[in-house]
Amino acid sequence: MSKQKEKLFEIKWKTDLPYRYSIGKLSVKFFEELKENKKLLGSKCPKCGKVYFPPRTVCAECFIKMDVNNLVELDKKGTLHGFTVVNYPFVDPQTGGLRPFPYGYALFKLDGADTFTMHFVDETDYTKLKVGMRVEAVFKDEREGNIGDIIYFKVIREVQKP
Amino acid sequence: MPKHDVAVIGIGQTKYRSKRRDVNIPEMIYEAVKMALDDAQLSPQDIDAILIGNMDHFEGINFSEMWTGVEAAPGYMKPVMKVATGGTTGSSLAICGYHYVASGIYKNVLVVGWEKLNEGGATTGIITAFDPVWERPSLAGALGPLALMASMYQDKYGATPEQAAKVTVKNRRNAANNPFAHLQMPDITVDYVMSSQMISYPLRLHDCCPQSEGACALIYANKEEAKKITDNPAWFKALETAHYYTFGTDDAMYDLPTATIASKKAYKKAGITNPIKDLDVAEIYEPTSWSELAWTEALGFAKFGEGGKLLDEGITEMSGELPVNPSGGVLSTNPIGATALIRVAEAATQVMDRGEKRQVPDVENALAMGFGGSLWTEILILGKEPMR
Repeated sequence: MSKQKEKLFEIKWKTDLPYRYSIGKLSVKFFEELKENKKLLGSKCPKCGKVYFPPRTVCAECFIKMDVNNLVELDKKGTLHGFTVVNYPFVDPQTGGLRPFPYGYALFKLDGADTFTMHFVDETDYTKLKVGMRVEAVFKDEREGNIGDIIYFKVIREVQKP
Repeated sequence: MPKHDVAVIGIGQTKYRSKRRDVNIPEMIYEAVKMALDDAQLSPQDIDAILIGNMDHFEGINFSEMWTGVEAAPGYMKPVMKVATGGTTGSSLAICGYHYVASGIYKNVLVVGWEKLNEGGATTGIITAFDPVWERPSLAGALGPLALMASMYQDKYGATPEQAAKVTVKNRRNAANNPFAHLQMPDITVDYVMSSQMISYPLRLHDCCPQSEGACALIYANKEEAKKITDNPAWFKALETAHYYTFGTDDAMYDLPTATIASKKAYKKAGITNPIKDLDVAEIYEPTSWSELAWTEALGFAKFGEGGKLLDEGITEMSGELPVNPSGGVLSTNPIGATALIRVAEAATQVMDRGEKRQVPDVENALAMGFGGSLWTEILILGKEPMR
């Protein structure tokens, strides 16, 4: 057996795949309010009262359809429940390039919401993060109407046990 | 009640590796399918229907039926259905195949799941499985949310990185006994795991599953057909699915409520009152070491917060009361569309007493678990006797 490495046969190409998604009326309203008024909206089930963030059209447990009248404003602050610092390379399908890392990434509940949510946090040293810390949304000055308008959630160093 | 009892009568697996550049997708699938057919001493003509499973966009292909359903699966002139449910793809396949035969529609089926992850990128592919507007911008594939889960679990119960490292050590040492496993590390130590690179706190490199390439195929038959082929099949005793929510981070993952719901239902159907005593082996879906700590609790193997004790006391070791992942588990092998089907294949292997070096003695009941999607769990229990 020859130990010589086999020459790789490759055919290379690069593909751009554009998509256009319908995001639904609740999301449109959410991003309008985010852009214009720095407001964060969730949807509240008219039957069980559960507040979903991000807003959802149908309550999973009640199978009730919610519309823009069921949107409620949530606080810009929340409580950290889980956190990490992403420190590995990967291709971001949103850009086709490498996602910059490391970045702080956390699971938290906004005050007034019943579901958890995730987003960037401004801390990349995991030893400085603790479950129970408070976080607050920091908005871009020039907002475009997408989730990137919340640059990150700023970690406030007061610990409250959830 | 099902019209027919259903058994696994043939198993085929490829040797899992990080790259299989020597084969294309149909060639890779053919290896597992041929092995399963030979195992059951059947030819493609004998098979009534085919189910295939794969997360095709992870490889940047779509409609993988066209890639392989006809030739290698082998779907030529047969009904072919594809299942793609993320991490649970393999267990969803296993359950759908069961329904085909249990209903009496087909006397037998062949199910095959695969992934060729090195042709795309697992993290990139997984991100595209999530909501483009809400989730993709911050999502870092599966490991990001699994790291969040581990940090919550650690905070809530005080579980230690040493306990997590023991999971990897157990599973990768077990993998050395499994000729199909991808990462076989007979000499791995807790120190080695704990000194590997921190890739997403608290997950270190060796707390995480690899990306693998490979295929797994199973052949099922009803009682009448199974009898013609083998006197040692593995029977399905219970199959349960639990789903909830839309977004991957709607709920905390560490206590995985869907695993508790699905396993409780399955235990009831299979007559299992104490899973540690009544199950003889479990093949669970643990994408990280921390997941095994937490989810063995959700499956009722330990009280909440005491998953680490299973490791500290050796309960889930090969020599313990309930060996978990004799195959090496997902921490050793993860070709996503095949991964949960491998759990079923390995559970069947144990019931059939064909595990050789990884065999647990006297297996009557074996559990297989699939995890994926936005907190979905599927549970299958296989045994020496059919469903009551």
